Amino acid sequence: MRRAWCLALILGVPAVGACRRPQPGDPLRGLSAAERARFDSGRVVFDSAFTPEIGLGPLFNQRACGECHEAPVSGGAGDEVERHAAAFHPERPGGGRACDELVAQGGPVFQDSVTAALRTALGIDNEPVPPEATATAARTSPDVLGFGLLDAVPDSAILANADPDDRNGDGISGRPNRFFDGRLGRFGRKALVPALRDFNDGAFQIEQGITSPSVPAEGTVAGRPFPAGTDPAADPELSARGLELTDAFVRLLAPPAQQRQSREARQGRDVFTRVGCANCHVPALRTGDSAIPALRRKEVAAYTDLLLHDMGPELADICFGLATPSEFRTEPLMGLRLMPRFLHDGRATTPEQAIELHGGEGAKARDLFRALPAADQAALVAFLRTL
Amino acid sequence: MRRPAFLFLSMCLAPVVLAAQQPTPPPPPAPAGHDSLQGAVQRIDAGRRTLDVTTGVGFALRVVQLEVPMGVPVVDKEKDAPIPLRELKPGDVIRVLFGVRSGRDVAYTIERLGRMETGPDATP
Repeated sequence: MRRAWCLALILGVPAVGACRRPQPGDPLRGLSAAERARFDSGRVVFDSAFTPEIGLGPLFNQRACGECHEAPVSGGAGDEVERHAAAFHPERPGGGRACDELVAQGGPVFQDSVTAALRTALGIDNEPVPPEATATAARTSPDVLGFGLLDAVPDSAILANADPDDRNGDGISGRPNRFFDGRLGRFGRKALVPALRDFNDGAFQIEQGITSPSVPAEGTVAGRPFPAGTDPAADPELSARGLELTDAFVRLLAPPAQQRQSREARQGRDVFTRVGCANCHVPALRTGDSAIPALRRKEVAAYTDLLLHDMGPELADICFGLATPSEFRTEPLMGLRLMPRFLHDGRATTPEQAIELHGGEGAKARDLFRALPAADQAALVAFLRTL
Repeated sequence: MRRPAFLFLSMCLAPVVLAAQQPTPPPPPAPAGHDSLQGAVQRIDAGRRTLDVTTGVGFALRVVQLEVPMGVPVVDKEKDAPIPLRELKPGDVIRVLFGVRSGRDVAYTIERLGRMETGPDATP
């Protein structure tokens, strides 16, 4: 009897596990034991809260990665909103780049929290935005589920959807952003960051004030060095191993599985394409080669083209790299049902509001949505709620 | 039943957390006297022979202010030919070998790799 029970466990449980839809926070399917171990260990680092004694600050937004990327699981979205700022001078008489990310003044991210030591030394509660800024921006924390797959999409697949001069005349002119070293960007609301590893490594310093072998120097406070004695931990404050494990956790998080679609949702999927949403929210991208088999040549239903689009003056805020104030990367819609708020700054509380706020290249699809019968509008939203 | 499982998990994972937070020894210093970077020209003052270059990792950006003494080679990689410093423009992607002299960053060599542009042909 006991033997039979054990056999059922050995044979049955893996089979059930393999059939189960991935839940938010699960790893990708098909990981090796070593990859799974790195994923599990990385989650621990991701959720670890830092203190000033082990490196937090002196400026920071949160104490742990998992404090922002928290709902409904580690790696999910968050309700925190942080401040970015930049100066945009499209016709700069002095001959600089049109976009100044205010790096020399502490930008582009201006942290909202300080350690007690920095507060005592400077009497500030956050990093001040310099007067040179022409705009500030609010940024919510997106979920990072499935981002390893987005990282594995080859540049050529992104560029294949680019149409910067709108040669096909459809009113959509997606163009790529580029990082300062020339690489194609894809991560961040303005698609500036070219690689997931870069995003993760940089975030330790920007969000938590944690130095590492990848970013060995502390930042500045409004462009000036931190006062002596305000940063007691020796650099680097996080090891290369800590960076690698965190990256493994984020990279190997499975994308949220699409939910079973009702008849209404299936109709909504057709409406989504018919009104033109899919022109920018491209339903699927395909990954290229990867050292990790679970990321290699997979289709990822991300509903993004990872390109910049002009979204009109109502949504415009800061420039970033090549992105003008009104240009934003098409937001991935995978995991939409898990998002507490919508758009880059969380100003929309429902998908309908988010659609209504589309301008610029999104205006045509928005207007077509407005003109739909109520049943078709409801179907489209029902479809979005399955993602 | 749950408590032993939790204790076991904690015992397994605690060393991982501690190891990850334990700083490793600092990386070996760069070869004496020089470093390199790849980034975009933010500003250029050809008269004073200074360059501001934006570079970084993810959103952790930094601007490196460089002096470019007379005689420092500036090369356009695509043309495989030397160019005068004044030909560099904001948005040019450059690779710089530099070092610290009297507390200031001084360029030793500059290569122009391309432009930080949006077209598909712009990848340096």
